[in-house]
Amino acid sequence: MFVLSFLLRRLLQGCLIILLVSFIIFTLLRVVPGDPARLIVGGMAPDEVVAMKAKELGLDRPIPVQFLSYLANLATGDLGTSFVRPKSGASLGGSAFNDQTREERAKVLELILNTLPMTLQLAALALAFALVVAVPLGTVGGLYPGRWPDKLALTLGSICVSTPNFWLGIVLTLFLSVKMKLLPAIGYRGFSYTILPAIVLAVEIVPFILRTLTVSVAQVMREEFIQLAPIRGLGRGRTVLKHALGNAAIPLVNLLGVQLGMLLGGVLVIEFIFDYPGLGLLTINAVLQRDFPLIQGIAVFISVMFVVINILVDLIAMTIDPRLEY
Amino acid sequence: MTEIVQQSVATPANSKGGSTPTGRMLQLAASRMDFRIGFLGFSLLVVVAIFLPLISSIDPIKMSYGAKLLPPFPAEGWRWPYLLGTDQLGRDVLMRCLVGLRYSLLIGVTTVILMFVVGCGLGLYAGFRGGWVDAVIMRLTDAQLSIPMIILAIAILGVSRPTVPAIILVLGLSGWPLYARVTRSVVLGERNRGYVLGERVLGASDLRIMLLFVAPVVLPPIAFVAVLDIARMMIFESILGFLGLGVQPPTPTFGNVIADARKYLLNAWWIATMPGIFMLVSLTCLNLVGSALERARNAVLRGEA
Repeated sequence: MFVLSFLLRRLLQGCLIILLVSFIIFTLLRVVPGDPARLIVGGMAPDEVVAMKAKELGLDRPIPVQFLSYLANLATGDLGTSFVRPKSGASLGGSAFNDQTREERAKVLELILNTLPMTLQLAALALAFALVVAVPLGTVGGLYPGRWPDKLALTLGSICVSTPNFWLGIVLTLFLSVKMKLLPAIGYRGFSYTILPAIVLAVEIVPFILRTLTVSVAQVMREEFIQLAPIRGLGRGRTVLKHALGNAAIPLVNLLGVQLGMLLGGVLVIEFIFDYPGLGLLTINAVLQRDFPLIQGIAVFISVMFVVINILVDLIAMTIDPRLEY
Repeated sequence: MTEIVQQSVATPANSKGGSTPTGRMLQLAASRMDFRIGFLGFSLLVVVAIFLPLISSIDPIKMSYGAKLLPPFPAEGWRWPYLLGTDQLGRDVLMRCLVGLRYSLLIGVTTVILMFVVGCGLGLYAGFRGGWVDAVIMRLTDAQLSIPMIILAIAILGVSRPTVPAIILVLGLSGWPLYARVTRSVVLGERNRGYVLGERVLGASDLRIMLLFVAPVVLPPIAFVAVLDIARMMIFESILGFLGLGVQPPTPTFGNVIADARKYLLNAWWIATMPGIFMLVSLTCLNLVGSALERARNAVLRGEA
């Protein structure tokens, strides 16, 4: 019962957030200059054609009306249709206004769902890499605060967080891919193309795990129940693994929820550098082509994910620590 | 008054050194080795970045075909004074890094100040007033947090001309929510403390209590963490530059220099690599300072020092 009321409350809050997000993005896109109707028909088209296109897309209506009709569609799960992308996926942003061969436009939701698995694959692999490096180091660092494992964790975290992801991507491509021919880098033609981008993304995740884990493990180790464990006859290894790490995991799970937006930012840039066909590349292209429905759709979709993941994170935290209440 | 303010942040008992919590945090941070290394390194780089371009005769923008594609220092064929080599147009890589650092720092610091003022201001107000004001501001914070900053930044900067004030505004306005959240949660704890109620009884207005008594207690610990955000914003600025949405060439920034040098990577690796290493070193120094400050802050807040 408690879980049900928690879910209901959070879902309502989530709807409010999604509404606000679509409002912010919608307004911003209308306020900034750049006429998508002209972009679609091409710069050389006469004004009447541009006006016709704007009418066809509904861009000539007042902004509040546009927003309301967008919301109405949104409520039925319809994110609209891309301005520039045809069904085949190729982008035709610059084609001439009287080109008869243009195909029907692709659905925004389909575009997002088609690229999402690629991005999830990248994110999952990166998270796995990051956990393998950061969890052991972070735990040991937290066990010996102020000693060398702690300093190592701090230094490694500082270096990782100071590495510009686009630069690391370029340099790793040069050395691992071009010079040593170890891993493929650009585009996507099989799973091995995910590894290099995942390494770069992992470097971005590692410092956050390190920082949270060292602090929370050190904090848990000061607790009375851990201090008393040897008296209960528990070995050190078991105490750390079972009791300390379990409790220290809660801030870590929470962090993943809060930092999701930042992670997505990293994904975006990394996919752009490696020409990796995921949600990030789709986003950058949508922005560069001023594809309003696609940008809005992605923003709304991400905020839905954000809401869902944060609810899941709280549920997981409650499972780990039954004392927590939200 | 000051004694009560101190007590609300940390136990002054068995404290050594500085008289205020902030002073103790600074003293504790300064006693750490990583802080000293980072601080020394970073101030050195900043001083060089500010003054060397002023006194040097090398122009970071002027092209010189006689000196193009010179390799960096130990490699064969390098030439004084081009320590980090030159690019495809004969421009000095070191000088371009220094100018890049100037812009990066300018944008990073101003952005964080903007984020801090907007975020902490809203958080302070929300936490202090409570009720529907609090609810509205916090839902706005949630919404803003769930839009990835970079999408917002490229969506806006992609169409408007990316000038320095525009970049600062966009980054600052999308980065405030975390400050608002943290400030609010601390203010909620302070709101019903004795000194606030005392001021109320004495007839002080809300605004006066907030700015004169609550803010000085709540904000310094948050400012300590803001140093880490300066480094984060500097990275962000370089990402925007890399995507072509930062300060525009010919003004060199880390981002646009690296993006430009990508084409010459195979023949002249240093043009793209050197600015990255330069950035890595300066930001690592800054992050060492930032995390030392953060740790000192946490230790003092826990009452260990």
